[in-house]
Amino acid sequence: MSLLWLRVAVLLYGVAALAVLPAALASSPANARPRWRQLSIAATIAAILFHFVSLAETFQASHHALQIESHETLALSGLILALAFLLVYWRYKTVALGIFILPICFLLGLVPAFRPGQETALPLLNTGLIFLHVALLLAAYAALVLSLLASLLYLIQERRLKHKAPSLPWLPPLETIDQIALKTLLFGLPCMTTGLLLGSLIAQQTYGPTYFRDPKILLAFAMWLAYCGMIFIRRHSGLRGRRAVYLSSFVFFVVLTVWAANQFSAVHRFTAP
Amino acid sequence: MSEPIVNPTRLVLLGINHNTAPIEVRERLAIPATRLADATRTLAHQPGIREALILSTCNRVEFLTLQDSVPNTTSAPEPTQNPGILSFLNDYLSIPSTTLHPHLYEYREREAVRHLFRVASSLDSMVVGEPQILGQVKESYTVAREVGAVSSHLEALLQRTFTVAKKVRTETQIGSSSVSIASVAVDLARKIFGSLEGKTVLLVGAGKMSELAARHLIQHGATSILVCNRTQERAAALAASFLNSSISTAVIPFDTLYEQAHRADIVITSTGASQQLFTRTHGQQFLQRRRNRPMFFIDIAVPRDVDPRINEVEGCFVYDIDDLQQVAQANLADRGREAAAAEDIITSEVTKFHARLDARSAVPAILALQQSAAAIREAELTRSAKHFTGLTPAQQQAVEALTRSLTAKLLHPQLIALRKSDLPPDSEK
Repeated sequence: MSLLWLRVAVLLYGVAALAVLPAALASSPANARPRWRQLSIAATIAAILFHFVSLAETFQASHHALQIESHETLALSGLILALAFLLVYWRYKTVALGIFILPICFLLGLVPAFRPGQETALPLLNTGLIFLHVALLLAAYAALVLSLLASLLYLIQERRLKHKAPSLPWLPPLETIDQIALKTLLFGLPCMTTGLLLGSLIAQQTYGPTYFRDPKILLAFAMWLAYCGMIFIRRHSGLRGRRAVYLSSFVFFVVLTVWAANQFSAVHRFTAP
Repeated sequence: MSEPIVNPTRLVLLGINHNTAPIEVRERLAIPATRLADATRTLAHQPGIREALILSTCNRVEFLTLQDSVPNTTSAPEPTQNPGILSFLNDYLSIPSTTLHPHLYEYREREAVRHLFRVASSLDSMVVGEPQILGQVKESYTVAREVGAVSSHLEALLQRTFTVAKKVRTETQIGSSSVSIASVAVDLARKIFGSLEGKTVLLVGAGKMSELAARHLIQHGATSILVCNRTQERAAALAASFLNSSISTAVIPFDTLYEQAHRADIVITSTGASQQLFTRTHGQQFLQRRRNRPMFFIDIAVPRDVDPRINEVEGCFVYDIDDLQQVAQANLADRGREAAAAEDIITSEVTKFHARLDARSAVPAILALQQSAAAIREAELTRSAKHFTGLTPAQQQAVEALTRSLTAKLLHPQLIALRKSDLPPDSEK
């Protein structure tokens, strides 16, 4: 049953991803935009609800076991990104980021919904703390993705203004984009910090101090430092535009490295045996 | 000599506007707001005029009247064919018809409706899509209603006019883009800063254009104005003109301009200086002091006050007068494209409005036919009453129902034909 709800959610992400295009980009009849925007937001909300139902049923059906590194993680990433998009919409009333975020949500859910993998629960992970650890880190990654996208939008808007090109109505003002880029990072920092602390706590209890000499774990703490450094630089030097994109891209690359490092880790490997 | 054909058309719109009359003529005909009520009342009391409305703006003066009957014309408008309005112009405004005749236009019935819809929707304005005209039509309507010059016919027409104007504004983007230099500057500032709430504007030089732009920025939320001018007194006078409870103003001595310019989010320059005031290096310094917060330079001066290379500094945006004019021109072209869509809406609305009027005009004939049939039915029943005395009440009711049903069925084709005959050919589709 959970698969059915996930499929409904993915289809709704698809509807939202399509509806957000005319909502943001349409240049004719002004009154057409609110209708598309409403459809896009309503579809996103409905998708999130169905996704939650699917997640809860999976959680229940597997007796509170988790499938880390499986397709479920991808779907969970999509859910968190969709939630982040809604938060940005609620705060800044812009759907511009949805042009990129909603198709990502759709694609992230596509494989888990229609080509589900082997669902093998690991007894070790039979804990809500692990779920929280994963969810918080995914939230931090989602915040970083949003911040990177916002920085790219800033770059586009800045270039258009500097070259006196006709304005694109769907692009938010520069300061709004900058606020989105910075605030999402600020939101991501406590998520990442708590997520890493929870992971450390669980590792300490399970493996002891040897866990912390693993390259994956060391990279994860390097990622946290890079994340903190990026926020510090952005806040204190007011870094914007091209250099902000470079910095966000660098930290994003670090995050991808940390993610990929699971393959090389001796202790942080939770794929099904 | 043949008699003029008198037709039943009654709606007449007579006027002049910026396309047909120069300012010298328009200002003679213009009716100030203080005299509008009296003028409308006087016009409505002219012989042959039932209802009246006067629209008087800086670009047009129009008299919309509902007249008892007017002679049919196919040639150019002749003021003598509108004796009511003519005598009003002569007696009330003291303007001989010969002065106005070359500039006057006249529309009747359907064309008058179309013209009114176009005017209220700002399609006939000097700047197509400007929003003020609808408010001016509404003001004229309010005045006319207060003096009793508007009743059923013009009331329905004007209510429809307001609906159509609103529809045009919401279904097209005719008024969405800025076409003046000052409003373009505001739009650009909003593209950079989003809300202008709490933003600081620095005026360098005390030109009229920069003052106008600053006032637009204040209207959109800017709360702090700094003025810098070589003549300190002029700067102080300009700063004082902005002062009110929600705006803070300050005068910056010219020799401290470079130390203080970074305080401003938006810099408007309009000095007569022969050399550029702000160079690329200045831009870099300002941005450094502002910790990279964006800065918008609006350079209205010719020759330019701001080195265009400041635009290369990340976070600095420079628009000179040509840039602003280009944006305004592009927006104006956009409005032209939207106007075509608006014309389609108006054509459709004129047809609908007339269809409703025509349907209303068939109502008296339908009523008369129904009343006549009912009278015949009752007369026949009365005449035959003596033959029904032996019938039970139920049987009498059945006869009554039978006659009603027969009458209705016999009338049905005639009523349908009447309704159809009053509708325009395409309204049945």
